[in-house]
Amino acid sequence: MAELSKATNTRPVNEVRKKKSFIKSNIHGWLFASPWIIGFLAFFAFPLIASIYFSFTTYSILKPGDFVGVQNYKELMQDDLFWKSIYNTIYFTIFYVPLSIIFGVALAMMLNMKVKGMAIYRTIFFLPTLVPHVALAVLWMWLLNPGFGLINGMLEIIGIQGPNWLGSETWSKPSLVLMSLWGIGQAVIIYLAGLGDIPNELYEAAEVDGANWWQKTRNVTIPLLTPVIFFNLVMGAIGAFQQFTLPYTMTQGQGTPANSLTFYVMYLYDNAFKYFQMGYASAMAWILFIIIMSLTAVIFITSNRWVHYQGK
Amino acid sequence: MLKKRFSKFRTISLLFVTIFTLALAGCTSDNTSSNAGSDSGSSSGDDVTEITFWHGATDIGLTALETMVKAFEEKNPHIKVNMVYTESSEGADQKLLTAVAGGNPPDVALFDRFKIGSWAAQDSLTDLTDMAETDGITKDLYYGYAWEEANYEGRLYGLPYSTDSRLLYYNKDHFEAAGLDPENPPKTIQELEVAAEKLTKKNGNRFEQIGLIPWYGQGWLYGWGWSFGGDFFDEESGLVTADDPKIVEALQWMTDFGKKYNVEDIAGFESSAGTAAMDPFILGQISMKVDGNWTISAIEKYKPDLNYGVTPIPTPTGTDFTTWSGGIGIVIPKGAKNVEAAWEFVKYFGTQEGQEVYFAELPGDLSVIPEVNENLGRGDNPILKQFIDILPNSNSRPVIPEGQLLWNELVTATENSTRENGTPQENLEKATETVNKALEKYK
Repeated sequence: MAELSKATNTRPVNEVRKKKSFIKSNIHGWLFASPWIIGFLAFFAFPLIASIYFSFTTYSILKPGDFVGVQNYKELMQDDLFWKSIYNTIYFTIFYVPLSIIFGVALAMMLNMKVKGMAIYRTIFFLPTLVPHVALAVLWMWLLNPGFGLINGMLEIIGIQGPNWLGSETWSKPSLVLMSLWGIGQAVIIYLAGLGDIPNELYEAAEVDGANWWQKTRNVTIPLLTPVIFFNLVMGAIGAFQQFTLPYTMTQGQGTPANSLTFYVMYLYDNAFKYFQMGYASAMAWILFIIIMSLTAVIFITSNRWVHYQGK
Repeated sequence: MLKKRFSKFRTISLLFVTIFTLALAGCTSDNTSSNAGSDSGSSSGDDVTEITFWHGATDIGLTALETMVKAFEEKNPHIKVNMVYTESSEGADQKLLTAVAGGNPPDVALFDRFKIGSWAAQDSLTDLTDMAETDGITKDLYYGYAWEEANYEGRLYGLPYSTDSRLLYYNKDHFEAAGLDPENPPKTIQELEVAAEKLTKKNGNRFEQIGLIPWYGQGWLYGWGWSFGGDFFDEESGLVTADDPKIVEALQWMTDFGKKYNVEDIAGFESSAGTAAMDPFILGQISMKVDGNWTISAIEKYKPDLNYGVTPIPTPTGTDFTTWSGGIGIVIPKGAKNVEAAWEFVKYFGTQEGQEVYFAELPGDLSVIPEVNENLGRGDNPILKQFIDILPNSNSRPVIPEGQLLWNELVTATENSTRENGTPQENLEKATETVNKALEKYK
């Protein structure tokens, strides 16, 4: 009896002790993490939550503005340039993201071959990602120069009169896709890691079954690369929706020609800092958040249909 | 045991509190220390007030500014000017924006006059009206448009100092080769069209030489609109009138011009165009262009023997020549700590004395004060003289809270019209509507 009561008594004491030591060990963790936590709360969480409120006001940075309810959102629905910027952004995303996956995977497979000096090739394809966006814009403006640019020069050699890339409404967005594809190195690195993860046995087994290169690629490589493709698809879509630096520097913020390069975030920036409409811009930011969020949700929901994880 | 733990917990929470207080103190210490700075400044050097002055000048512009500041300090030994470089671009505006919003702006800043309207409407510039009145600074001192651009709704928010204007540059050698009289450049729009046609040499869709691109260089719709006799703003109603029939006419002319030479081919020429030494006018690829007076020094630098002339932007009638001007002003942001000392500096730089010191260092630049240009002999250069001669008839862009929006809308309307996305009438009506709608919230 005495023993029993002892036993029952010790349990809560132990638990209390555990709890105490839990707090104690956590306190130090929190303390070490506190610079980050304070920074996160002050510079991310607070502005994030504040921007929800601002999106319902006419806040202009310099003036607090009035609470106007959903007026900003209503006005956005009637704003032609807002729709144009959405169209431009979606256009860019639809072309850029799939192309970046196709080229990225193809490039990664090529860079995965066992050839002498592969490290050099890999470095070469990764290098463009190190170029700052502003420099990239200047470089490509020269390459795409319709008069004496390298690209039209090469097209001329094979007898094609190249288009007026960045000056034409039809070609300005494809030009931008082309420029963005140049900086694909980051994704290629991830694909390479994914390729390295595919066990050799599977290829050996496929070879034993008499599969050719195409069959191996289609039935082994691609399915097992889908988790990585999935990751790059989500990140690529988010990045594409936030396209800003390249078109902004290239057009000096004007989105020329004829607003064909005015992207969503560029218009948001103009509203916030040029037109003193931070409230309106906050509303735009939240709409963008909802768009990206739902797009990511759709990708996630469909993912269990086409993403194959190893060992499943 | 428990107690010990508790005390540990206490020390940790104490640490937290300390960190927080320090962080908070860090936020406020800026104010106190800067106050202390100016206090100690005023006590140490016989009442010397230090003012902070934000500028974006480099190279010879900086030398001129430094000379002017030195002259000011000699004249006003009780004020010390602390010059702080903030790069001259949109980024500088953003810095000023956050500084004003954060309640810690510089005492004085150089500021694009074009933006005075929108910043004054946001209540972020100090009203200088009374101080100017007391010191007898009136609009009679300046070119009319420059004074207008520094005023918003009848109140003065800055003093103007530099200015510019836009004229038609033409290549005299090209004129001669095309059988045109180089001493008698086009005066009417019709003559301009004829000259442009004679001067254009097109090969396929490439221009070997193009006579004119109306929107190239400084050929904004503002310039053509005013030259066609249009008005962008109605003072009385406070509404934008970019759909003024005369402006529609101007844009229609630009559109027709683009259609005649194929706008995509022109765009190809434009995006191939280089800058500086590779400028197409300097290289002789374009025979006529509308551009500002700063181009004179570029030509002097890169091709001093270029045989060119300037002439006012042609008008439909060949009379009533006009142009438009911008320029920089000097402002006191709202929340500046030493407004009185700042005003002394603004007054010095904004009036004849300071400007003569400043512009003496910059022979290619123009002052907003006619006497300064005269005293410094700006008219001795026959080409620069033409830019000065037109200043009394120049325009400034409407001083409205949505000046930037109007600018962007006009650019969009021009691009859409010349690329035939909608007619000039439709596009300008849309631009007018957009800007007027945005102006509603300031009423």
